[in-house]
Amino acid sequence: MFTNLTKLDLKDKQCLSDVGSPKLCMKALPGEGAERSCAYDGARVVLMPITDAAHLVHGPIACAGNSWDNRGARSSGSQLFRRGLTTDILENDVIYGGEKKLKESILEIAVRHNPKAIFVYATCVSSLIGDDVDKICKEAEAELTIPVIAVNCPGFLGDKNIGNRIAGEVLFDRVIGTAEGPDEKIPLSINLIGEYNIAGDLWGVIPDLKNLGITLQTAITGDAKFDEIRSAHRASLNVLICSKSLTNLVRKMEIRYGIPFMEGSFYGIHDTSETLINIAKALGDPDLLERTLVYVQMKEDETRKIIAGYKKLLENKQAILFTGGVKTWSMVSTLAELGINILAGGTQNSTPEDFQRMKALMDPSAQIIEDTSSAGFLKIIAEKKPDLIVAGGKTKYLAHKTRTPFLDINHGRKLPYAGYQGMVTFAESLARTVLSPVWGLLRREFPPKEGEQDD
Amino acid sequence: MTKTRHYEGNPQKNSPALGATLAYLGVNGLLALLHGSQGCSSFIRLQLSRHYKEPIPLNSTALLEDSVIFGGWEHLKKGIAVAADKYKPQIIGVMSTGLTETFGDDMVSALSSLRSERPDLDDIPVVLASTPDYIGSMQEGYQLTVEALLTTLATPSTHTFKQAYSEEAPSVVLLPGCHLTPGDVDELKEIVREFGFRPITIPDLSISLDGHAELEAAPVVQGGTLIEDFKRIAKSKACFSFGLSMEKAGEIIEKMHEIPHINFPALTGLTATDTFILTLAKLSGKAIPEKLLRQRSRLLDTLADYHDQLGGLKIAIALEMDLLYSLASCLVEVGSEISVALAASQAGIHKLSLPIPIEVGDLEGLEEQGGKSTLIIANSNGRQVAGVLKLPHLRAGLPVFDRAGYPQKCWIGYEGTQQFFFDTLNSVS
Repeated sequence: MFTNLTKLDLKDKQCLSDVGSPKLCMKALPGEGAERSCAYDGARVVLMPITDAAHLVHGPIACAGNSWDNRGARSSGSQLFRRGLTTDILENDVIYGGEKKLKESILEIAVRHNPKAIFVYATCVSSLIGDDVDKICKEAEAELTIPVIAVNCPGFLGDKNIGNRIAGEVLFDRVIGTAEGPDEKIPLSINLIGEYNIAGDLWGVIPDLKNLGITLQTAITGDAKFDEIRSAHRASLNVLICSKSLTNLVRKMEIRYGIPFMEGSFYGIHDTSETLINIAKALGDPDLLERTLVYVQMKEDETRKIIAGYKKLLENKQAILFTGGVKTWSMVSTLAELGINILAGGTQNSTPEDFQRMKALMDPSAQIIEDTSSAGFLKIIAEKKPDLIVAGGKTKYLAHKTRTPFLDINHGRKLPYAGYQGMVTFAESLARTVLSPVWGLLRREFPPKEGEQDD
Repeated sequence: MTKTRHYEGNPQKNSPALGATLAYLGVNGLLALLHGSQGCSSFIRLQLSRHYKEPIPLNSTALLEDSVIFGGWEHLKKGIAVAADKYKPQIIGVMSTGLTETFGDDMVSALSSLRSERPDLDDIPVVLASTPDYIGSMQEGYQLTVEALLTTLATPSTHTFKQAYSEEAPSVVLLPGCHLTPGDVDELKEIVREFGFRPITIPDLSISLDGHAELEAAPVVQGGTLIEDFKRIAKSKACFSFGLSMEKAGEIIEKMHEIPHINFPALTGLTATDTFILTLAKLSGKAIPEKLLRQRSRLLDTLADYHDQLGGLKIAIALEMDLLYSLASCLVEVGSEISVALAASQAGIHKLSLPIPIEVGDLEGLEEQGGKSTLIIANSNGRQVAGVLKLPHLRAGLPVFDRAGYPQKCWIGYEGTQQFFFDTLNSVS
């Protein structure tokens, strides 16, 4: 049973074209430093932006305590989703079971916070000790007037992608299509799937949809109310934004409700226009398509005019791009819009398809980041000496130590980058970072070498 | 008050494994390896990184479903071996999680099995800290890890270091609790140096997580206590531990090396600082340095100038126990009223006392009980309470992610105490 470690071949060789490609369900090696996350994290990313629901984590403090209210998903209404709620499993619960505590917690939260629904997240420890979260949720639901929904997402199931998928299944099984009232489709209406309204991204897109006469039924799940998601089946089209993580959801919605789906992105001028045009085509309304073609042309011209100044400042800068999801490929064209070249690109939490798409868009000379650990990332920075790094928050402070300008494009950021308005904000932010005088100060030799005092 | 709720609402607790990570981050050349699933380490990295604005090196054994069935014993062995081979650390520090403690992985036997298979790794000490997520908070995890560091690395010398240090200043061992910021630890060392001592600080966050640009971002800790320093403990004149949670760690040193140990539950406030300074003066046989007397005199003047405002404060405070006691006792001393005192966990709650009972509680509890106060003191997550109660909010503890400079901030000694009063008063004005 006990293997001799020295005899272990520690990693399967990947075929060359796939080098750097994220592997779905790939096991990270212990001790390797892959720095990925877990299924619970993936599930909460998808479900927790639902604003008027309570999100109760049935686990020890490590699951909710270290993470609550830490994503930049924003709400125009209820702030209930930002509450950190957990059963805080303690030693005695591990020994005697946590089911009773869970049930009491659900009932108490229903009274105290008056949520539209309660999502209950199972975690590693609650699953190991055999707590039947499904059963408890059913029991509690019978005593309440709101849905109590179990999310079986213990972290050990795998990485974030798996958690995303579990959350999609939960929405499909327990939420979508459960609204009372009419079921017929609302004309020219869409759902934006995988849009979490990080830093208000969604609000940058809604005006364009409105101007075109497209109704947003709901985003799944950015700034979403529980009841809006219940009626998500009334939309005429699903637009998958955060690429593949919720593909299972849109496929199932297509089969059950006959809602076609398409992929899109609202990052960058090019992708925003393309997505709007594709939405118009998919909705099959010739008037809308005509309107959209005129509209996007107008917006493109307008936006390009505004960002022209920034483009001049940023043109021919060399960047390293490291992100996940739709941004994997969408950021390539967004950066290209500003004349920025990509020296190296990599991804961690997106799918092989996203990765291939990124690769196809990048200059063939651009390097693929194979080792996605901090160490690998630093090596690339040292080798390539980029003018800027565009990546997620977890590499931010790492990048700062290399004294390289860095822009956070993931959930930790404060500004919305989606849509045409987002492109302007993005260009502004990027210029502010790249042209900040602090990088010069950071690189200044001190004390100066002899004879260079007057520098 | 009896507990009326079964759930934790807006927790102020951080996980014990996060406390363990913090302790490990104060030891130079150490690679921290979390035995658990990847989410555990990911959340800790994010949480610490948004507080310290620093990259947080933390590796993981990346457990998955199969290890839940078959146990993570092999994973732990593999994790240590891979980390040792790939990153060549001087020390490996392992902490467990709720997941591995629930299925009962025996870390000690995993390590000894690895030792017999890989004799080439003999030179790398491996510290094992048992920090199940379901017992305690950050403070407990930090405490257990410091104890594990000492019992593993501070053992009476098998490697004797050359006696080249005999001519140097006499050393004292400092064991700062997790309530002390890198800025605090810096000040602490400075005060000790004023009395002619050479501090050996374990762990030493003041030179690893102080946020300096020269740091090479790397998978192992840079800065922090040197591994050699653990071996120099034996020659020290005394050991001081700070925060009640560090008392046991101090006793370990006292027993192991027969060095006198004194615990200081608090270092914020006039009396608390006086006690420490007088102890140093006595131990060194030196007069209290002019610089410190001057700082004390300034603090006294501040107390006189603002006694009325300080006396009018009614403060609701929710923090990890040692920090709670430190700040609250300092406020009580100058006549402020503590209206609510909620500790993150049980530890020390019956040993330390304030004029009002200290309860274990969360930030939803602070929201429920804090209404009649003039100020709340809590970590950044208290912002929701402050919003609901429409009260000013002084940030303290961890995480503080929405104010600048907290890791560098100093709350201890005469100067730190004075600054704490200024911050408190400015928050309510």
